[in-house]
Amino acid sequence: MTTRRADSAADDGATDDSATDDSATAAMESLYPFLYADTSDLPAVLEQVRASIVAKVGEIRELRQVITRRDGARLARCAAEMAARFAAGGRLFAFGNGGSATDAQQLATLFLHPAGGAPPQPAFGLANDTSVVTALCNDIGVDVVFARQLGAFGGRHDIAVGLSTSGNSANLLRAFDEASRRGMLTIGLAGYEGGKMAELDSIDYLFVAPSASIHRIQEAQTTIYQVLWELTMQEVPHVPGHTG
Amino acid sequence: MTGPVARDSPEVTRLFELRDLPARDLAGQAEAIAATCHAMAIRFHRGGKLVVFGTGGPSADAQHVAVEFVHPVIVGKRALPAISLTTDVATVTGIAEAEGIDEVFAYQLRYLATPADIALGICVDGDSPSVRAGLKAARDLGMLTVALAGSGGRGAATHLADHVLTAASDDPRVVKEIQVTTYHILWELVHVFFEQPGVLDSGAAP
Repeated sequence: MTTRRADSAADDGATDDSATDDSATAAMESLYPFLYADTSDLPAVLEQVRASIVAKVGEIRELRQVITRRDGARLARCAAEMAARFAAGGRLFAFGNGGSATDAQQLATLFLHPAGGAPPQPAFGLANDTSVVTALCNDIGVDVVFARQLGAFGGRHDIAVGLSTSGNSANLLRAFDEASRRGMLTIGLAGYEGGKMAELDSIDYLFVAPSASIHRIQEAQTTIYQVLWELTMQEVPHVPGHTG
Repeated sequence: MTGPVARDSPEVTRLFELRDLPARDLAGQAEAIAATCHAMAIRFHRGGKLVVFGTGGPSADAQHVAVEFVHPVIVGKRALPAISLTTDVATVTGIAEAEGIDEVFAYQLRYLATPADIALGICVDGDSPSVRAGLKAARDLGMLTVALAGSGGRGAATHLADHVLTAASDDPRVVKEIQVTTYHILWELVHVFFEQPGVLDSGAAP
């Protein structure tokens, strides 16, 4: 209850690799005092849970404000480059593990089947095909599940978007190297302070959600990629060569 | 980077601010969310599982919820049984063709769920016919029914749920983001009740 999973190979939707220490225990106790009190007083527990919910919502609101101040202009520039790639016939490939795999899927369908009459753009989620993913895991290893697919599909007009909360997933690092080698526009979403993704030269645009909570990071990342979609859609009609 | 480089963008700021009011509204539902966590904890305590469903974008959210509960993010939190009804493409497309798309969740619920279970239907506008049919099948079975809906909770599906948590926006993207926060919080705080076994036997919630 008091420590986070120290499992660096796993990531996102569900696991985390931050260090375990005493300060985490203290932080946890201050965050969830009711876990450390021996009570079966239902109204008291409900009230403490209510207060915790209000605090969590406050955290995500604040995190979004930090990101818009810090990354607003870069988000706009990134969207303009994405629109140019689509106009040149490019496609978008999105990838991530666990909960981030579902975000990759959401991102792909946002472009491919958008609500409200926006022009559809070709987009794929690289975690969607369980046959491909399990074959690569079994035959080679989980580190190549995205890189190998980008090697098969990716070209110089395409866009690669990788999502991770830790920024450390080995299969994302491999995928960005492959995408960069192929001349793709590379976009990374990470949390904490960016992890190993922050050290890569292969990521053109890295957006970091500076939080220590995997949940708040994922919520902020959802905003980042959905705002990127919205900005890209605003740019698409203005990019020469667009036929959609 | 040096020099007067603009870091913000008025349009990005505007888009991010669209999220703020609905988030504040969610905080206003804290009491209802806490009650939902409690009711879900009672079902898990009795051996029930969580069954999640939604179409389009929410189908990805259904899978996110399932992995959240089955594979806990924090050491020491117990894995809780949860399945998404969106992942078996053979079954989903088979039902869609033979029985119709509206039946995809109701059909699976009838064969995969039990009365002790929890149904969580996620929809952007509250009107998804397949989510509505799923919640109805769940209610007929005697399951605890929970709906996440947008547009302030309007829509027929929400009348079929014991607990309705809403995202106060008409923008499907904003609704999704509020729903991600909502189900993250449901997961984070349902565990609180396992630490206080006395509160699981009260039978106060359905």
